[in-house]
Amino acid sequence: MGDLLDALLAPLSQGFVRRALGAGLALGAAGSLLGVFVVQRGLGLLSDGLAHATFGGLALGLLLGAAVDRAIWIALPFTVAIALGIQHVRRRTTLGGDVATGVFFAVSFAAGILFLGLRSARAQPVNVEGLLFGSLLAVSPEALVVILAVAALVAVVLAWTGPRLAYATFDPELAALSGVPVAALEYLLLALTALVVVVGVKTVGVVLVSAFVVIPAATASLLGRTLGTIAAFAVGLSALGTAFGLFASYHLNVATGATIILTLGAMFFLALLLRRR
Amino acid sequence: MTAALRARGVVVALGGRRVLDDVSFEVERGEFACLCGPNGGGKTTFLKAALGLLPLSAGEIEVLGSRPGAAGSAVGYLPQAKSFNPAFPARVVDVIVANRRGSWPVRTSEAEREAARSALARVGGESLIDAGVRGLSGGELQRAYLARALVNDPALLLLDEPTAGVDARGRTEFLDLLAGMAARGDLAAVLVTHNAAAVRRLARRVVYIDGRVRAWGPPAEVLDREWDRPAFGGHDHDGPPCEDE
Repeated sequence: MGDLLDALLAPLSQGFVRRALGAGLALGAAGSLLGVFVVQRGLGLLSDGLAHATFGGLALGLLLGAAVDRAIWIALPFTVAIALGIQHVRRRTTLGGDVATGVFFAVSFAAGILFLGLRSARAQPVNVEGLLFGSLLAVSPEALVVILAVAALVAVVLAWTGPRLAYATFDPELAALSGVPVAALEYLLLALTALVVVVGVKTVGVVLVSAFVVIPAATASLLGRTLGTIAAFAVGLSALGTAFGLFASYHLNVATGATIILTLGAMFFLALLLRRR
Repeated sequence: MTAALRARGVVVALGGRRVLDDVSFEVERGEFACLCGPNGGGKTTFLKAALGLLPLSAGEIEVLGSRPGAAGSAVGYLPQAKSFNPAFPARVVDVIVANRRGSWPVRTSEAEREAARSALARVGGESLIDAGVRGLSGGELQRAYLARALVNDPALLLLDEPTAGVDARGRTEFLDLLAGMAARGDLAAVLVTHNAAAVRRLARRVVYIDGRVRAWGPPAEVLDREWDRPAFGGHDHDGPPCEDE
């Protein structure tokens, strides 16, 4: 038994696996905590839209001459601005959140394709597939620091604002009557989600990052009866899915990000079955 | 002594339309008053303006001597339309405690739970304390929300059609409950209702609003006067402004 466990955990002897695990756990914890609010508000498509906006931001960074690793510093403010734009349209018009997300997502992604096409012919070629699908195992020590910093920021801000954000999620009118700054907290939620999505794109890519936000929170919502238990389930399931997916992908020699997401997806469908019973 | 609620020349415009135009009246401390009038007459708009949820275009409203929204927990509010998110995992105890704290209770202390239980006991809804909000019937929801409004021991209650969506038996029980509160004499309330029986039973004075204040006085005078007004025959509302059951 001990030998089997040693063999399963052997990958941890390698630095890049430890970094991948740390990045995945931090990203999963931050994403799933935000996801609790995102899912309860029916904004499941938001993180997907922001991930596509991140592609536009990264492409803009590359157009402005940044290296692939540095383009994230352009993508961060770009994606946060898109998130605030989505929230502005949601608040100022009668359009639903998904409509606003759909518009910004399409425009940002199209702009990203345009930006990449506008780059000089002498510019270093870009691995678009790498942007779309990311690589958790390629997380550099610097990228890990950024991910841990963003996760810590999310944890601190949610510890401070979470109960008021939850009240605003339950009923914005009653929350406003109790003095909760509903509009400011909604903008904050979208900005934090944008931060997590941008750093997540570097690890699991544009296509899969939203799964870190949506799936654990959706699964937890099927299992928990109170907001506290849902948040605890979401973080726990995210950690379990990330660790299992990482080790499974290593031993099976398959794509890490996709294996983690499929593990999280399997948990969701299992929860769906358990709930029906 | 300041009035519980004082409106002077209040104008509220929504979407370019003057929903309230030069509305003035006063509710004394300890007085139960009813706001009556046709649908679209501005009753709910007035309550929301008094709560600070809608801006005034002109005039002023004083709530317990403060501007709208500034009286905080001294004002209890029972909304007509429950705008809560049905997907949210909310129990009755959470909704009541949230009104005490001003934030959602991830954990509830024993003292907070006791306060919620006590507020529910006042409205005959103790058994609802751990019930999920989305599974409540119309009458249970009104009791839970009334307990929420009462949990901070307010000096003024603003109740927007509290018996709407409640069956006949529940309506009678609810009116008994409100009558008990009115009899105490230490709680002022403004009750928006279309129910003439409720007005006659609960209110010392009635304010009849149809965009403007059309009448203000004891129920017998106002209801009879408005009831006979030929001008109300052509209104585009579902029924009479205040109807007997």
